[in-house]
Amino acid sequence: MIDQGRRRFFTSMFSAGAAVAAAWAGGGPVAAAAEEAAETTALGINGLCLYVPSLGEAGEFVAAMSRNAPGRWAAHPLPGALTERYFAARSLYEGARGKANTFVGVVDPATFAVVHEAIVDAGGSFHYVTEARDRVTFSVQV
Amino acid sequence: MSQFVALPKGLTEETFAKAIQEYRALLGEDRVRTDPASLQSYTKIMIADSEEHHTPSAAMYPTTLAEIQAIVRIANKYKTPLWTVSTGKNMGYGSAAPASRGQIVLDLKTMKKILHVDEELGYCLVEPGVTYYDLQEHFRKNKLNLWVDVPAPSAMASPVGNTSDRGVGYTPYGEHFLFSCGMEVVLPNGDAIRTGTGGLENGTSWQSYKWGYGPYVDGLFTQSNLGIITKLGVWLMKGPPPGGYFPFLMKFPRVEMLADIIRTLMPLRLNQIIPNACIVVNAGWEAAGYFTYDEHGRGTNRESFYKKKDSLPPEVFQQIMDKYGCGAWNFYAALYGSPEQVALNWKYVSGAFKQKFGKDVRIFTEKEAQGDPIFEYRRQLMMGGSTLQEFGLYNWRGGGGSMWFAPVAAARPSECDKQMKLATDILNKYGFDYVAEFIVGWRDMHHIIDLLYDRTQEEEMTRAHRCFDELLSTFTKNGWGTYRTNTAFMGKVAASYGPEMMRIHRALKQALDPNNILSPGKSGIDLDASVA
Repeated sequence: MIDQGRRRFFTSMFSAGAAVAAAWAGGGPVAAAAEEAAETTALGINGLCLYVPSLGEAGEFVAAMSRNAPGRWAAHPLPGALTERYFAARSLYEGARGKANTFVGVVDPATFAVVHEAIVDAGGSFHYVTEARDRVTFSVQV
Repeated sequence: MSQFVALPKGLTEETFAKAIQEYRALLGEDRVRTDPASLQSYTKIMIADSEEHHTPSAAMYPTTLAEIQAIVRIANKYKTPLWTVSTGKNMGYGSAAPASRGQIVLDLKTMKKILHVDEELGYCLVEPGVTYYDLQEHFRKNKLNLWVDVPAPSAMASPVGNTSDRGVGYTPYGEHFLFSCGMEVVLPNGDAIRTGTGGLENGTSWQSYKWGYGPYVDGLFTQSNLGIITKLGVWLMKGPPPGGYFPFLMKFPRVEMLADIIRTLMPLRLNQIIPNACIVVNAGWEAAGYFTYDEHGRGTNRESFYKKKDSLPPEVFQQIMDKYGCGAWNFYAALYGSPEQVALNWKYVSGAFKQKFGKDVRIFTEKEAQGDPIFEYRRQLMMGGSTLQEFGLYNWRGGGGSMWFAPVAAARPSECDKQMKLATDILNKYGFDYVAEFIVGWRDMHHIIDLLYDRTQEEEMTRAHRCFDELLSTFTKNGWGTYRTNTAFMGKVAASYGPEMMRIHRALKQALDPNNILSPGKSGIDLDASVA
């Protein structure tokens, strides 16, 4: 789907996101392993990370992302009902196009169901998606 | 190595490349996509089947009738199958993925024109990419007092897509195909027709008179692969005057009460005191809807109550009901009309249920249900509002797996009860929960069961597939048809309706689409497949 270098880069970011989420859920060793596995990159990130508040806080996501994939990071929560999340994700993605060069997210499965459609409906597509039982991480092309 | 993600069945790479070249000459590079990233969204399925079986070879985005006609002609020339989607939100039924690998997705989401809204007679004419939300925004912007009936994922689904799959909603106009009027359809040979009175020169009643003259053909283009709907007329409700919309909820404490609930509500439904496609929802569905976050920000879901992976025992269901205050059954309906009519009808409705159930029914109107997000979600649906709350179901078990099992029952108490017990037994046998609602139609029940499972676990996915298969087989043996199904089971459902029906569908396909180019496999109709 994407070249290996870019895949490694995104894997590292997802590790960071997963680390935050795992730490929040009390998964210390998992978090440590994720961080160990993470690689740094020098692509000049101007990134945006969507998250749901149950999986972490903005500061934690920004810190983890910056540590593992240095650059300028902004984290946006998707609060409220799923309907609001659909429109918020769509609007954030449309706003990010042409400005940010990286658009990722760590959300729960229900939120991902609507975020996925929001991105697709705005004409976007995904680098890839990693699904687990209670969380989904993804990267969108911008 | 192939330059394509997948190829249509029976086509060489060289032939397919030529076809793509021709499509690109027509639409341009941007609107004919074969790159993996562009195709990824079409493989995002929730059903228990491998993405490999449903991976498309390309996606195309036409914007006009003429482009679709030209596409169909190219498809005939190269025999490239076209899997048509409107906005592609058929989640739990196969999403936007084709029935079989290698088909080209003809994505009509870029056809977004609201062509006409008639406030006087309450109808509209729309293209496939128009969503229910787009229509509602149009009403708001133009201050039109009109309601459109919506399915649950209303904010992003389209009237054309949902009606053509014979979806249902929750207002008095809940049976969507019944309340559609007039279609424009591109046939497999590239011709375009207008159904009903649409073929009349200077006709004025295309969206107000359904039947036209001679055989009525609109049904041929629903749940079918005999044409591509490019315009659809939809009837709209006039919004009632202030005080003329009265949603309510009744909660019942025991599972065994289902038959009595149906027995009490059906006379009210048949005499139109309750005019809408009302809903009887079980505790599993209701609780999943209440997915919330606790004070630590953690989500409350099934696992919060039960750590094991098998089906929830009755005592845990009871704990869940106690926690959320929901009933074993939860009946949502609404009254519509003038405030005086509504007040009078409410006396009939509440009186009938109080008489039957006494203290065993708890009744909530808007006043008592203030702040309840699930009541609000149902209130929105029954007035054609935009909501995506139903997606909360996907957090209940987690893992992104969902398959709608959707048998129909005659709206008789004993029949609904029997279906419920049978479905519960089969689901529990495979370790899944009964999460269901009955949508009350005119004389039928759409028994909508969400088989929720963890798609990230291969074993669980296999189990879900087998469970669905057994549900289907068992319900068929009992004489219950399935009104709609997912792309992995379309052939089996088609077979359940008998060989004669399969043969007539095939004969129609042969006559109209001899090259088998439109959505092969849709509703089990595929000239390449053998017929028993």
